[in-house]
This record gives sequence, structure tokens and C-alpha cells, in this order.
Amino acid sequence: MEGILTLVIFSPLIGVLVLLLPGVRSDVAIRRTALGCTLLTLAITVMCVVAFYQGPPEGEPSGPYRLTTHMAWIGGGSSAESVDIDIGYRVGVDGISIWLVALTSLLTPLAIWSSFTSVQKRCREYYALLLLLQVALLGVFCATDLLLFYVFFEFTLVPLYLLIGVWGGSERRRAANKFFIYTIAGSVLTFAGIVYLAYFAYSVRGRLSLDFVFLKQLGQSGAIPFEVQWWLFVAFAAGFAIKVPLFPFHTWLPLAHTEAPTAGSVMLAGVLLKLGTYGFCRLSIPMLPDAARHLAPVVAVIAIIGIIYTALAAWVQKDIKKLVAYSSVSHLGFCMLGLFSLKVVGVGGGVLYMINHGLSTGALFLLIGFLYQRYHTRSIDEISGLARRMPWLAFFFVFFTLSSIGLPGLNGFVGEFLVLIGAATSASTNDGIAAGPLGYGYVIPAATGIILSAVYMLWMCQRVLFGPLNEPRDTPDTSAGLTHDLTRSEIGMLVPLAACCVFIGVYPKPLLTTFEVAIRTNILTSTVSIADAQPIRQGEHDAVSLPGSASVQLAAARVFGTGLNDSELLNRSDDAPRSIIQNTVASVGCREGIHGTTCIQGTVASATCRERIHGTACVGHREGVHGTACVERRKRVDGTASSGGVGR
Amino acid sequence: MALLGQTDLWAGIDVGEHLFLFSPMIVLVCTMLAVVACPIILGRGPRSIATVVWLGLGITLFMTFRVAGAVADGGVSGLSTQPGGMLIADNLSVGFQFLLLAFLAGVMLMWWMGSSATERNAPEFFILLLGSALGMVLMVSTTNLLMIVMAIELASLPSYAIVGFEKRNRVAAEASLKYMIFGAVCAAIMLYGASLLYGLVGSLDMAVIASYTIDNLSLGPNRVLLAVGLLCFLVGIAFKVSAVPFHFWCPDAFEGARIEVTTWLSVVSKGAGLLLLARLVTVFCAGGGADANPALSITFLTPLAWTIGIIAAVTCTVGNFAAYKQRSVKRMLAYSSIAHAGYMMMATAVFIHPSISGSTAGITALLTYVVIYLLMNLGAFGVTAMVVWDTGSDKIEAFTGLMRRSPWLAVPMVACLMSLVGMPPFAGFIGKWWILVALGRLQNTATSSGMFSLSTLGWLLMIVAVVNTFISLYYYLRIVVQMMFRDDGQRTVRTPIVGLAMVNGCAVALFALLIFAQPLKRTAERFTRNMYTASVEQDGKHKTLASAIQRGTP
Repeated sequence: MEGILTLVIFSPLIGVLVLLLPGVRSDVAIRRTALGCTLLTLAITVMCVVAFYQGPPEGEPSGPYRLTTHMAWIGGGSSAESVDIDIGYRVGVDGISIWLVALTSLLTPLAIWSSFTSVQKRCREYYALLLLLQVALLGVFCATDLLLFYVFFEFTLVPLYLLIGVWGGSERRRAANKFFIYTIAGSVLTFAGIVYLAYFAYSVRGRLSLDFVFLKQLGQSGAIPFEVQWWLFVAFAAGFAIKVPLFPFHTWLPLAHTEAPTAGSVMLAGVLLKLGTYGFCRLSIPMLPDAARHLAPVVAVIAIIGIIYTALAAWVQKDIKKLVAYSSVSHLGFCMLGLFSLKVVGVGGGVLYMINHGLSTGALFLLIGFLYQRYHTRSIDEISGLARRMPWLAFFFVFFTLSSIGLPGLNGFVGEFLVLIGAATSASTNDGIAAGPLGYGYVIPAATGIILSAVYMLWMCQRVLFGPLNEPRDTPDTSAGLTHDLTRSEIGMLVPLAACCVFIGVYPKPLLTTFEVAIRTNILTSTVSIADAQPIRQGEHDAVSLPGSASVQLAAARVFGTGLNDSELLNRSDDAPRSIIQNTVASVGCREGIHGTTCIQGTVASATCRERIHGTACVGHREGVHGTACVERRKRVDGTASSGGVGR
Repeated sequence: MALLGQTDLWAGIDVGEHLFLFSPMIVLVCTMLAVVACPIILGRGPRSIATVVWLGLGITLFMTFRVAGAVADGGVSGLSTQPGGMLIADNLSVGFQFLLLAFLAGVMLMWWMGSSATERNAPEFFILLLGSALGMVLMVSTTNLLMIVMAIELASLPSYAIVGFEKRNRVAAEASLKYMIFGAVCAAIMLYGASLLYGLVGSLDMAVIASYTIDNLSLGPNRVLLAVGLLCFLVGIAFKVSAVPFHFWCPDAFEGARIEVTTWLSVVSKGAGLLLLARLVTVFCAGGGADANPALSITFLTPLAWTIGIIAAVTCTVGNFAAYKQRSVKRMLAYSSIAHAGYMMMATAVFIHPSISGSTAGITALLTYVVIYLLMNLGAFGVTAMVVWDTGSDKIEAFTGLMRRSPWLAVPMVACLMSLVGMPPFAGFIGKWWILVALGRLQNTATSSGMFSLSTLGWLLMIVAVVNTFISLYYYLRIVVQMMFRDDGQRTVRTPIVGLAMVNGCAVALFALLIFAQPLKRTAERFTRNMYTASVEQDGKHKTLASAIQRGTP
């Protein structure tokens, strides 16, 4: 499985190279090449998901990221520089990114397939650009090095810019330029933030590295002062908020969506917008935890304003595509709300929301594309009653509308529910995560957004699909080999998406389980202490065979990101068999006030094991109760506790 | 002759060894002579003369390789056993020679494709071209004021002529005149600065001037004189790199000149100027013993860093904004080159810091950027050249629909432009990254050593660089929009196959350098290692600075 992710990321390039061959001339051959190539990518992605599910091979430690590959890119090796630079080609997936990779691999072939009838000019470039876009998107989700992440993040712009600008609608040039300039305006600030973070890491740790794991440790150890975190958060947010897009930076999106070709819209709504939320989730929250906690109410308020404002804006749209575009902004507001509840439930809901939104909105844009091809209009005023002529289209349209507005039983509901739960219970700590700043006050206005979304989506469905049949003159246009209703291949594009919607709606557990593991290891700080952690059962330490306590301490220190220089490891006697009880007290110098930083010599540690916490060892102690420390680790990792730590 | 006397021109040195170290320059001169002689023997055929030049460049390259091996472990102050020789052969100068030769080959290629068929004055053209090349090589190989002035003049005078090479072209003539007047004024100011410095210190060597500065920090009036002298001297360099406000010649000269000449001026002349600046600053910091003397850095180096930093920030901002309205692609690229000179100057501002001066972060970033910039500009100008040759227009409209007309021109053009913006996945991104890292380093080191003024400078330049990246996007995008999104049915561009190979090669190289960023950095480090500073000991030929000052100070 070594290098399989690299294969996934770059397999679309094979298609690009084949398209460059002079032999591939006819449009049919070009289309088939592109589709075949993306199907190949999909197949490899499925292998990845399977490999991910199987867990690590015997004897291999399960780090925070799986299926990793690391090659030196910048730095490494001997260098005349005194700075130890370590920036590499690091790829890996965790429970969050694997599903986003899968989403990308699923949507791209559908987007390409949907272009078979709609794109007739300059096919070669068109498909090459779509494939390049896929490379960039897959790269973003797989990268575990910040600079690599940024390279892919920026590279997504160029292919989509050209896709919108060349194959878009009448205002395509303005839309493309606006899209490009808006997004790059933010992301250059993100870049400045990255450079600064790199140097900050260097000044604190003596190592100029942008490894996600390293940066998370750095952020959570409290080594970055609050003001620095604050500024970095703002710099990162500048790039990500525009990408999401958060109100008031959303104005590029409706225009870009309306003008983009169908496949462009699908990729834009389905995957590209997730780069913003993914960035928040992967970088801002874990690496800048204090600032994220402090600014979460601000982000949440902005998200809620966006939810309601863009829902109202969607309500008055005459253009179906624009309406769905505004609904995207509104929905991604939910996603942000979930992420910034800073709870396992909420973040999990937010991540699920990303995937749901990709599925249902991607499908809606496909449907609108099919509609537009037949009627050459997207105006709600000009068409109505289409259910009579196109029952299949009507079925799918209603289906994905319901999925989008969160009908129980379909995917949207699960995500929304979790997000709202997360936001409402943000202040609780029973998931072992420090209290988040949100609460019911945020849920109520957000829930209004759900009602509004039902209103405008259903209203649109009713106007377009039901009532008396009304079509523009000379339509439906069936010249391009289309039928009045959806063709078989069009149905074929929608069925996989619908199946995924139903599956997630009925049985979201496989996703949520992996999310939780990933969130606990890679996103949120686990701050379980005796006072806070609910389900700790006493006295299970005998079941755990530990070779020595030092490794536990080490792992603990590393989980908290303190590094050994910050934490004092006292009283180590590695040869003592009942190590935990007798000699473990690690002082973990995480944030003051939560755990305290002093170490009381020789106090008793109670070790507990919880199954669900994936590979985290955690040491905390409470003052007052004569320094009890609690060590917990995963049961399944046999023996070496350090393997349950965060080592790479 | 007192000036020459000080340098101990021939005292006790192995002439042969030193002549060998400067053999690339000698070969260049010989090539010029051969070009003069060639019409008598071979006739004035442009291609036969070009062949002679190719041959000369080949030999130069060979000699440069040999020299590179000889100076790998340390620099040699040429033709003198003591610090303060006229010429320097070290890794940096050799590295620049490689760059210059590579670029010269690219420009020759462009000339071969575009102008060789109609060229009537090939020998003159090449004499001028090689002359300015020699000047640029000398610029990077000296720290002696007199030599610097001479090198800059040698680089400039042929450039004036070569810009106005098409006598009957009024635009070219005007450009040439403007360039010359501007250059003459700047040279005069620079000479004035040099004379002030010499009058004050009594030496032409930068290292001696630096030590004088340290010893006389408390001398009130002399300090002002020193500062004025240095500032005036900087003007000459600023003219060469077209830093604002000495940039006005640049757009006109670029627009008026033939496109291969424009290409030539856009990269190496700026690169030479910047490396010269870098060298002077390094000598000033290291040779002057800034590490040992924090007072110097506060009273003198910090203002110097701010001066260079502010000029850099203004240059890059002005260049980017001015490029907005241009209709001529050549002119737009001229402003873009001004902006890029600004970015590169930022890297120069970095190593004016005691604890940084010893490291090579700034100058490595600079050299890396120059290499990448060379490729980007060669590609962008190459495409522009082929469009100009075919359509006869350098207006942006000539690019309309290029994607359909000649995809193999349009795609590398997009790559080069995106690289100029600094977008991944092209090497321009890496160039910007190293400059920003160097600035971050300045900021960081300065903060930790309590020099908050420099720390602010680091911040400021970082923000300016980043914001400028964004500003520059718009005008580069205009060309992309014109090529990709519009089409008015113009015919296919006829392109020479060599040209296609060249521009596509540039694009591929830009992509490859992103992946192989580390080897590039290593190479740049190799050529910035053991830079010549006056206090460096060379195989027993070390001479203390103090004695140099004794001799130098009247």
C-alpha cells in the first residue's frame, strides 16, 4: 500500500498525458480517455478506502495519518543553512480526508460524463483541465504538509478559472476574473501566515517544518502566544473564508456558479468550496486552538448571518442555478457552525455536512445542467409543470431537494442534526474535549435557516416541476441526442449520488466512527481529566500491560504537544513492573488553569482504558486531590503505549 | 597612479594563476575581437558571425567550468595578494557567469530566429551585446569603487546603443536617447558618490570603507558625508536594477528595443545590479565586522536596511500598478520586471543584520529567484517575440485567441505568467517562498535580538510582497484572458520549431524546479558559499584588515 495515495493523486495526470498524444483526435476518443482515467482513479480510491478500513498492518504503529508517504522536498539532508528546514512531500489520510478524497473521485467522473453532450468545443483542453482540477483537489485533501497543501490549494484556481472563462455562459469572463481575484486575494494572506507560522515554529522548536502533526503539537502545547495565534487565525481565515464562502465574502460564488459550465459547477459546489471548510478544520482549529476558541463566537455569528441572509437572497432568485448557488452559501454556514462548536459531535456533523453538500448540491447542479440543455433557460418564470413531461427528472429533483433541506432518512438530516446538537451542547465537556463557546443562543437562529431553506427549495420545486406545463417556444431541444425525459446515461449519473445519499441517511455510522477517531487525534484537543471525563472506569489498569511508564509519559507529553523540554518527567523507574501505579506522574505543561503545571512526586496514577479514543494517551492531573494523574490509552494497541501516541 | 599603487597590482603574485581565474572574461574580450576581425575573413554574413560568437561562448563556458572548480573553496581577490584587489573570482561571480552564459544563449537563439535573416549589422550587434555582457560579469566580480563604476559603464554604454540599434526606428531612437540621458545622469551621481567616499576614506575598496565606518562612528560631520557618498553611489546601482525612482528609462527602452534586446536587459542587467548590491552589503557587514560591533548595526546598518527595504517596497508596488494600464505586452513586461526587481531587492535588505550577515539565506534566496526569473522571462518574452515577429504588433490584441491559434505558445505563456505571479505549481512560487522565508528570518532574528526596527522592516516587506503578488495578478491575467477567453479569428502564428522548443522548455523547467526545489537551493547555496569578503583568509595570503586601513587611510 506504500504510495497508493500518490497514485490516487496523480493518476488523472495519466489521462492528461494521453490527451496530449496526437493520436487521440476524435472527440469520442477524448471523452472516453478522460472518463476511463477518472474511473481508474475511482477504482484506486476504493482500494484506498478499503485499505484505510482494514487498519494498519500488523506491527505497524497507527499514526494520526494513514497510508502515508514522505519524500524530502525542501530541506532535509545536510545543508549549508543553519536552519533545519524540513518541508516535504507528505501525504496521508485520516478519517476525515479519506471521505473527501472519495467524494472527489466520485464526482469527477460524473462531471466528465455529464459533459459528453453539453461540451462540444475544444474538448481536449476541457477534459485535460478537469483532470488537472481533480489532481489539485485530491492533492489538497491528501497533503499533510502545509506548503504542499498550499501548492495544491492554489493550483485548483487555474483549471477552474479557465473552465469558467472558456466554457462558461455569457458573462463568463467577468465571473472567471472575479472568482480568481477574490480567491487569490485571500490566499496570499494565508501564504503570509504560513511563512510566519513556519518561522515561528522555527524560533520555538528550532525546526522549520510545516508537517501537520508537528504544527498541531506546537499549537496545542501552548507554545504560540495568543496574539500570534490570533493574527495567524485571521490570516488563514482570509483565504479560507473567501473559499467557503462566508458572508460577506460570498459574492463571487453565485456569479461563478451561474456562468460556469455544468461540470464546473459540480466541481465547484461539490468539492472546491470544501477546501475552505477543510482548511478551517485541518489548520485553524487544531493548530491555533486558543484563537479558534476565542474567535469561534465571531465565526459562528458570521456563519449564522450568512445562513439567514443568503437563504433570503436565495428565496428571491429567478434563476434556478443562482438559487442553488445561494443555498450553497447558506448550507456551508451550517458547516462552519458545526466546526466551530469545537465538539466531537459538531465537528463530525460539519465534516459530514461537507460530504452531504457535495453529493446533493452536485446532483442538483447536474440536474439543472440537464434542464438547461433542453430548455436553454434557467428562469423559474419561463418553465413550469415539467413533472408531466419529465417524470424522472422530477423524481430526482425532488429527491435531491429533500436531501438538501434535510429530510430525515436522507443524508442532509444527519449532518444538520449533528451540527445543531454540537452547537447546542458546545459548553458541555462530556466528550472529553474542553468546553466550546457556543450554545443554544446560536442554534435557534441557525435552525431558522433550515426552515427558510425548506421554503425556498420547495417553492422552487413547486414552480418548476408542478402546475400547468409551460415551456419556452421550440423546446425541449432534443438535437444533441437527448430525449424529453432524462436519458439512461443521465439517470446513470444520478443513481450513484442518490444511493450515497440514502446510505448516509440510513447508516452514517461507518463515516461517523472514522470522523470521531480523526477528530480526536487530529482536530480537537483531548483534555480528559478525572473531573471532566465521564466514562472513565477505575481499576482497569491491570488489563493493560505496559512495559514501562516512560513510554506512556513520552506519549502523553507528545499528545499534549509539550515536548519533553516543557514537561517534567519525574520519578521514572522503568524497571518497575506495575509501572503505572507506582511511578507515573507526568507533568504535562499544557495550558495553565486546566491542568496545572507542577508535578507531584510519586502520586498515584489511575490508568483507564477507553476503547473509542484512538491512540491517544492522556495524562492530566487535578490539583487538590493530591495530584491524581490519569493515564488512558487504547486497549487494542498491545503493549507499547507510545505507539498509541502521535508519533509519525 | 596612487590608486593603482594601493592595490599592489603585481607584487609577489603568480600572474598566470590569476589570469587563469579571469580567463572567462578574457575569452569574452577575445570573442569580441574575433567578431571585429570576422568580417574581414568570413564576410558580414550574420549567421557566420553568430557562429563565431557561439564558439566564443562555448569556450567561455568551458573556462568558467574550470574556474568554478578552482574557486569552489573560497574566493580570490584577483591580481593581488591582499584584500582590496580590483577583481574577485569566487563562487558567486562564477555562478553569475553561468547564468549569464545560459541567458546569452537564449537571447542568441531568439536573435537567430527573429533577426538573423534581415540583420545587416551583425558584427556591431554582437560586439555591443558581448560588451554589455562583459560589463555585467565585471559588475559581479568586484568590490572596488572604481571598478564598479567602470563595470556599470561598460554594461550600460553598449546597452544604450543596442536599444537604438534600429536607426530608422524613431521609437527605438527615442528610447535609446532617454536611456542614455538617464544613465549618464545616474552615472554622474554615482561617480560623485565614489569621489566623496574616496576623499573621505582614501581608499576605493569597499572593505576599507566599511572598516573606516566602524572606526569613525562617532565622527559627526564625516558620518553625514559618508552617508551621502554611499547614497549617491547606490543611485548608480538603483539605475541598473531600475529601482524607483530611477526606473523611468525602463519601459521606454524595453518597448523601443528589439525584443531580444529587451529580453537581454530584463534579466541579467538587473540580476547583475542586485548581486553587486548584495556583494557590497555583504562586504560591508562581514568585512566591516558588524558582528563584533552592534553599535554599527544600530547607527548605520539599520538605516541602510531600511533604505534598501523601502526602495524595494516602493519599486515593486509602483511597477505593479504601472503595469495595469499598458496595452503593449513588451511594456507591461517591462513594468513587471521593475516589480520583480523590487522583490529581489527585498532579499538584499535581509542580510544587513549582524547575526544574519554570516548566513547565506538572503543571497541564496536572491540567486534562486534570479535563476527562476530568468526562465520565466525567457519564456514570456520568447512567446511575445514569436507573436511580434508574426503579427508585427506587440499590442495585447495580437494575443487574442492564441490558445486556438497556437496552443503550444499559449500554454507555456500561461505557465510563465502564472509563475511570474507566484502561483503554484510553478517555480515562481518557490522563488517567492524563499524570499518570504528570508524576510521571516529577518523578522524573527531581529525580534529575538531586540532590534525591533529591523523586525518591523521584515514584517512590512513581507506584507508588501504578499499584497503585491495579488496586485500583479490582474495584469498578468489580462494576457491570459486575451489568449484563452477571446477569439477574433486571427490566423495561426507561424513559429520556428526552435522557438517552440525554447518556450516549452522554459515552462517545463519552471514546473520541474518546483519539484526539485531543493537541488535548486543547493546549487544556489553552492554558489553563494565562501563568498569573498575582505577578511577571508586565502591559503596563507591573509592580510589583516588593520594594515589595509593603515595603508588606505591618509
